Amino acid sequence: MNLILKISLRNLFRQKRRNVLLGIAIAFGVMILVIANSFANGITDVLLNKLVARIAGHVSIAFSEKSNFNSPIFRDKEKIFSVIKNNNEGVREVEENVGVFGRAIGNGKADTIIIVGIDLSKELSAETRKEIEESFRMIEGTFQDLSRKDVENPTIVSEEKAKYLKVKKGDIIRVRYTNLFGNDQAARLTIVGILKNDNVFMQGVIFAELGNLKKLMGFRPYEIGNISITMNDAPKNAVKLANKIHSQLKPDIAVIYGQLKYNGKIINVSTLGFKTDDESKKVLEKKIKVINGEIDKVSSKKNVLINKTLFDALGIKPGESFEIVYKNKFEDKETIVKYNLTAVFADDEMTDKNIVFLSEDKFYETYYDNLPEDPKKIKDAFYPKANSSLTDILATEWILLKRTSTTDELTKKYKDMGKGKWKATIVDVQTMYESASDVLKLEKALNLITISAVLVLFFIILIGVVNTLRMTIRERTREIGTIRAIGMQKNDVRNTFILETFFLTLFASFIGIASAFVVMRLLSTVTFNVTDNPMSILLVNSHLYFFPTFLGISSNVLFILIIAVVTAYFPARRAANLSPATALRHYE
Amino acid sequence: MIEIKGLKKNYMLGETTVLALRGIDFNVSEGEFISVVGPSGSGKTTLLNIIGCVDFATEGEVKIGGVNLSGLNDKEITDLRLNKIGFIFQTFNLIPVLNVIENVEFPLLLMKKFTAAEVRKRAEKLIEEVGLKEFIAHRPAELSGGQRQRVAIARALVTNPDIVLADEPTANLDSVTGASILELMKEMNQIEKTTFVFSTHDANVLKYAQKVIKIKDGKIVDGE
Ligand SMILES: Nc1ncnc2c1ncn2[C@@H]1O[C@H](COP(=O)(O)OP(=O)(O)OP(=O)(O)O)[C@@H](O)[C@H]1O
Ligand SMILES: [Mg+2]
Repeated sequence: MNLILKISLRNLFRQKRRNVLLGIAIAFGVMILVIANSFANGITDVLLNKLVARIAGHVSIAFSEKSNFNSPIFRDKEKIFSVIKNNNEGVREVEENVGVFGRAIGNGKADTIIIVGIDLSKELSAETRKEIEESFRMIEGTFQDLSRKDVENPTIVSEEKAKYLKVKKGDIIRVRYTNLFGNDQAARLTIVGILKNDNVFMQGVIFAELGNLKKLMGFRPYEIGNISITMNDAPKNAVKLANKIHSQLKPDIAVIYGQLKYNGKIINVSTLGFKTDDESKKVLEKKIKVINGEIDKVSSKKNVLINKTLFDALGIKPGESFEIVYKNKFEDKETIVKYNLTAVFADDEMTDKNIVFLSEDKFYETYYDNLPEDPKKIKDAFYPKANSSLTDILATEWILLKRTSTTDELTKKYKDMGKGKWKATIVDVQTMYESASDVLKLEKALNLITISAVLVLFFIILIGVVNTLRMTIRERTREIGTIRAIGMQKNDVRNTFILETFFLTLFASFIGIASAFVVMRLLSTVTFNVTDNPMSILLVNSHLYFFPTFLGISSNVLFILIIAVVTAYFPARRAANLSPATALRHYE
Repeated sequence: MIEIKGLKKNYMLGETTVLALRGIDFNVSEGEFISVVGPSGSGKTTLLNIIGCVDFATEGEVKIGGVNLSGLNDKEITDLRLNKIGFIFQTFNLIPVLNVIENVEFPLLLMKKFTAAEVRKRAEKLIEEVGLKEFIAHRPAELSGGQRQRVAIARALVTNPDIVLADEPTANLDSVTGASILELMKEMNQIEKTTFVFSTHDANVLKYAQKVIKIKDGKIVDGE
């Protein structure tokens, strides 16, 4: 064993009482620190990783068709999934969040409920399954029963809800709800299971199989609702993933390429939409010149315009109607729409192609319900030139909201979105670090506790180590003189004392960590009955929840060791710098 | 081996200057067994400290093995002490947390040029020579004064130094034990051919010295 190490360690056990006292103080500080840290971690884990992450995902992609929050639908499932598949680094689970509010009527009782879709078709990771099993304990039936085919719309309800609605397994509840398109609907749900649910947030939830629920809500198979993505190591990966997905979801100009039928003539045309907000109207009215038809209503919401090229080919007059037929992207069918021409325009950019120009209201009505084939594959389809001013006013496939990094930015974004009066589907990619940054603030508050523990500890170490070392050095002055006389170098003498403090702190830290675990163990056996108190959010199943992490603890210990060593450095150096002759003459 | 010319040492004690050594000249040759005598406060410890390189002269020249001490930095001086000089103290000054053999090995380990086995072998040999073979694993607190001073002698000699300095090695021992310690030092001086300089104010131990340097008030009064 190294000589200096040996002397340090032996000296550490020599001044037993003094070192034990300092050791206890450090151990106590470390214990508080570890407990505070684990508690803060536990809260974050419960709130963020369990609650928020399960409801919204670490990363979410949200849709609002025609800017309507009540229409969370995107018409091209494939598109979204291919983008996610391209960026699957760290992705644990991709889930489709579909839910609908409704009124449930049981046996003579009615109550508000949310029907939430559960996807039983895919393999769950062990971690997710464990999480689900822990938070939803089935009393009757299993989640798999949701896919039963022998009953109408299988559903699982919580024990409380079943009691309230006076229903039991096998009973039918009737539900009234509004579908995606704003139509009132009614459905009969058969109860196949009952679960126990401690979570106040989930009391009103009843479950149905995802595909089944989507059908009830009016989704077609190639359409999806909001997407939530849970990740491994979310703090590190979530924002990165969101940014990547965001950058790959840039929308293009929306074009319907099809055939125009008028008076026996069939002509290939590109149908485009134009935005009708004030800003875009101004640009549009400067850009094009109406040569036939209603001049003052060019940008009205009901307008159907054609360009001069098409006008010349058709010989149509404003007020007359024509049909457009186009192939759909899904389901292998065609869509036929009929329009009444309101005006003809001329401009310098849309001259060599045949163009039908619709206000975006009119355009999207058709576009979203029956997505056209990808027009980029068709050479004849019209696209504006790269930096044409048209790009700003043409309707796009969807509108992609900017990424934000805080809740405040997010709120502002949604406010601005309301002002925009957009008609396209809005696509928003966000992480829970923005949507739940308030929760993160709570975590910061909790970290303040940790920081105060650190400060207390800092002073214990500062005062404790300096005083202990000073006494030790005084006591051992002649010994220092002796080893210096024999030939030990200054730095080695200094290191002996630093090492002694280092080991004391290290041992004390281990004891502190061990006691922290014991205390946490004891604290988490205490049951708190505070169900209707908001503080219950800090509890898991009525118990305090601690979540110690290796990284948290080891960085705490490292931090403490550094303080101790730095604090020990100065008295140790003074001891080493003593003149050996003076040190040898020292008598207590 | 030791050449001292015009050595003066002043201590500052607040405003006053203590003239501890006021001009000392003498030489010691290799293998000598020399005693420095004088009454309390005469400057014996000061002189030995300066020869032992733990203190330095205010004025004058000190050469150890031909090396002038002024002009060496702390690291070089420390190395010089480690390699060339052995110390025996009045109060034994063993390291309390180390046992007998560890105390003796201590300077050898500091030298960092021997293997663990060589260190152990050399330390054992010296412990045997000072007659403490059975006490090898004892801590200093478990030994008598005489035994401690034997350990100190073994520790001082283990590095094979050129000079061993002993400041009143017998002052804390009874006369019989003191005598045996001096016998041992004398014996080691003969076996190892090491130069010994020891101080004393006890006339009884002078008979062991080959040569006596008498000092009084920081000056040599009568060399022989
Ligand atoms: N650090 C110091 N500061 C001031 N004066 C000192 C210091 N060390 C020694 N002295 C003085 O120097 C003189 C010589 O002291 P020294 O210890 O060398 O004498 P000594 O011969 O060893 O005495 P003793 O036999 O009592 O050990 C004394 O007067 C002493 O008071
Ligand atoms: Mg003295």
